[in-house]
Amino acid sequence: MGRDQGPAAQNLKTAAMFPNKKNKPPRLAEWLLRMIHSDKGDYTHLGDFNEVYNSICRNQSRIQAGIWYRFQIIRSIPGFIANKLYWSKAMFKNYLTLTFRNFIKNKGFSLINLGGLAVGMACFILILAYVQFELSFDQFHEKSDRIFRLLNRDSPADANVIEYGVHSPDIMVPLLVKDFPEIVRVTRYMNFFGDKTVLQRDDTNFFQNGLFADSEFLQIFTFPLLKGDAATALNEPNCIVITESVAQKLFGPADPLGETLTCRSNYKKYEVKITGVTADTPTNSHLQFDYLLSFKTLSSDKSTSYMFNTWNVGNFIIYMETINPQAKFSIEEKFPAFISRHREISEEEAKRLIQVKLQPLKDIHLKSRIRRALSTNYEIKYVYLFSSIALVILLIACVNYMNLTTARSTSRFKEIGIRKVVGANRKQLIKQFIGESVLTAFLATGIALALVRLLLPRFARLIASDLQINFLENPTLLFLIIGTTLAVGAASGVYPALVLSAFQPFHVLKGQDSSRKRGSLLRNVLVVIQFSASLVLIIGTMIIFRQLDYIKNTRLGYDREHVVIIPIHEQETRRKAQAIKTELLQHPEVQSVSVTSGLPLNIRSRFLGVTLQKDSGEKIEIEFCMDYIDENFLDVFQIELAAGRNFSQGFPGDEKGALVNEALVRQVGWAEPIGKEIPGMSGKNRVIGVVKDFYFKTFHIEIEPMVLFPGGSNHIAVRINPGSVPERIALLRTVFTKHSQSQPFDFYFLDDAYNRLYKKEQRTGEIFGTFAFIGIIIACLGLLGLASFSVERRTKEIGIRKVLGASASRIAGLLTREFLFLVLIANVIAWPVAYFTMHTWLHNFAYRIPISIWVFLLAVAVTLGIAVITISTQTLRAALANPVDTLRYE
Amino acid sequence: MRLLSRSEEMVLLAIWKLQEEAYCVPIREHLNTITQKQWSFGSIYDPLERLERKGLLDSYLTEPTKERGGRSKRIYHLTPQGQKALLEIRRIQEAMWAETKALLPKT
Repeated sequence: MGRDQGPAAQNLKTAAMFPNKKNKPPRLAEWLLRMIHSDKGDYTHLGDFNEVYNSICRNQSRIQAGIWYRFQIIRSIPGFIANKLYWSKAMFKNYLTLTFRNFIKNKGFSLINLGGLAVGMACFILILAYVQFELSFDQFHEKSDRIFRLLNRDSPADANVIEYGVHSPDIMVPLLVKDFPEIVRVTRYMNFFGDKTVLQRDDTNFFQNGLFADSEFLQIFTFPLLKGDAATALNEPNCIVITESVAQKLFGPADPLGETLTCRSNYKKYEVKITGVTADTPTNSHLQFDYLLSFKTLSSDKSTSYMFNTWNVGNFIIYMETINPQAKFSIEEKFPAFISRHREISEEEAKRLIQVKLQPLKDIHLKSRIRRALSTNYEIKYVYLFSSIALVILLIACVNYMNLTTARSTSRFKEIGIRKVVGANRKQLIKQFIGESVLTAFLATGIALALVRLLLPRFARLIASDLQINFLENPTLLFLIIGTTLAVGAASGVYPALVLSAFQPFHVLKGQDSSRKRGSLLRNVLVVIQFSASLVLIIGTMIIFRQLDYIKNTRLGYDREHVVIIPIHEQETRRKAQAIKTELLQHPEVQSVSVTSGLPLNIRSRFLGVTLQKDSGEKIEIEFCMDYIDENFLDVFQIELAAGRNFSQGFPGDEKGALVNEALVRQVGWAEPIGKEIPGMSGKNRVIGVVKDFYFKTFHIEIEPMVLFPGGSNHIAVRINPGSVPERIALLRTVFTKHSQSQPFDFYFLDDAYNRLYKKEQRTGEIFGTFAFIGIIIACLGLLGLASFSVERRTKEIGIRKVLGASASRIAGLLTREFLFLVLIANVIAWPVAYFTMHTWLHNFAYRIPISIWVFLLAVAVTLGIAVITISTQTLRAALANPVDTLRYE
Repeated sequence: MRLLSRSEEMVLLAIWKLQEEAYCVPIREHLNTITQKQWSFGSIYDPLERLERKGLLDSYLTEPTKERGGRSKRIYHLTPQGQKALLEIRRIQEAMWAETKALLPKT
């Protein structure tokens, strides 16, 4: 400084005056102190600290100096925080006020912005909840990671595709526990016989589904007993554990324990005692039952003894609890040895014969495609599909937000310019804009939650499950939603924040916009993305519905209208079937009646490895589907014969006859199929006729060879004459109950059953359609916002054009053109994506529609139409405005 | 005008005495010596900042020194208002202490 030191200063001479010995304070501590004591940027405070540090170093020790120095950090913190809070509070208040003012100032924009985001969030939340529900299957079991289901290879060892089945022989169960130290418990269950079983108490009876299970079942799975003892409830024969709602139905509030029930189906009948009541099975359990019958009921029944103590009958689904999740591998590895030991065959032989897999419980719902498993399994690919739709919708909504905010930015140039001039740095501006968009996102989520509440019942119907959303029980979902909101807010705010904060205050305040060009390019790209996403959804929807339409309207080879099916569940009713048929035929409302086991929509039983003789004498091994029918079957379902004749009472040898389909004849290559031999269940049958091919399975599979044998008794199929349906049904009910007292009357329409086969596709189509609709609406909201912005910006230009003589239509065209161009580009991008996606989907069907160009052209037309309508609401107003009004303000 | 607080008064007096050496470290040491207490930096920065805001103090930066890790000193000096405020507080104190002989130690 070169100034004279005052006299007082010399008295108070400090160590600071002496030349120093390069003692440097600890670096990290210095950095921290510098952060805390920024001291308007000249850091004199830091200098003070360093000086004292040096003096302590000299007078005492470095260590003490270090301690003192670091201690200063701690001392400074409270003041630092208080200071920070004070100023950030003030800024926050300012930001909040500005957000609010901006919102009010641009009501239209803000509502579009908020509305789009809210609808997008609502869709996202609904789908998220749904996906979470699908993923939550079987997670409620306490031991869920240690429970495995035993799968057996279903196909021959040399098959190309190895298919697994769930059924295993009972004899394995005790051996498994004994031989594998890794296995804690094993249980197995079997469905109660028949499609539908009846639980009866005195005169009340209900159709209910039940399982035979043992007490291990209750110990492995978490199905808690509300009444009764889980360890003993299923130990004795003829015991039953019912669910809470069954108990409620049969007994009301009375205590059901110790009461007796009758449990019967078309094959069996048991008198059972109630020994327990369980809670109802959760909807997210793949095991669904209304009651559990003790396993000993089955194993002590003489008529079912053939199922036990043999390796040849596999009727049981086996689950095991292991000591840890990794035990799966060692058990699978030791399995061939296990089989060879107990069946006394070589290990190679055992490997060829039986191959098992342990399927984790948690994989059962989504990852198994196993035939004949209990409960319809869902497929993980649908979960992925819906998740991606949710993300697409959310993306469209976010893009809207970005677009509208950057578009609107011109109206905030002044604010930003002034902020910058007054001293806001870029970081603060970025924070402000991101904060604003996060705030908007939270507002949107609030609205979205209200929407979700409103729409949940409809959505639940759409996805056909009783989905519930309860945030108290499901905090994960709440966190996911909060996280998504933050992410959406930040993501959609980032771009506007970066663009807006980069403006030069000089240009901004002068009214020039240096970044307009770049901004509009990005906005255009975003619009293209939005429309491409919506287009993929639209094209997908159209193709799915066209395929469904094709399925519904293709001639199937049989007529499914006006056919009522009455299933037979009981032995007693089965004996009366002929009498019912005879009486029904006396009524003029009934056209024809067939007592049949097979129904044309699903002939599933398979004969494998059947050897047939070709015309050349050469043997051919084929497999075919088969079922049992009677002589009226073809009549009721109106199936045509290609050759030969139908079964008939007039030919006594017909119980040894058979009808085959054209596919079988084609495969074997018979020139004259009539009279050829077909092996049946009991000896040889002769072909008496050939039916024309009809679709007896879903469209996913090609028509296979099929044989129809005489006999059959599982359904009464009635073709009714057109007329009042309730009356016809009432008639059927009267006749049926007259003959069968014990079985409740039950019926369905063939065409309903047919449509149910494609429920999954139908559902996918509806969900796709719904979200495509929502997606295009949100995209249009964005387009509307952009169009109105562009019109606003060009008000003067339009005015001048009009003054110079441009017509209204010309101006509207001018404004519309640029947006239409974007929509067209979006189409070009969306086409290949949609094509490949839908091509893959269609390959699930053996019979499918071609993807025609018309679908794409229609999609272009639809999007262009919607876009034109949206934009023209804005442009027309601008084009029709009187130039005097637009040019007056200068 | 608001009256000076005790710490403000002491800081002002220390600055007056230290003259050209009136920056934070000597001020603090001076106060430590006189009061026989350890003053933290914070308890000096705060009154300094306040007094400067009120216009009782003015300050300038010196050349950075090695001793201070390459940082400047902020040297304070009293403004006329500062001097007036000190005089005012002295007047008040004397007036308050007048007629309190019983409390004063016998000399």
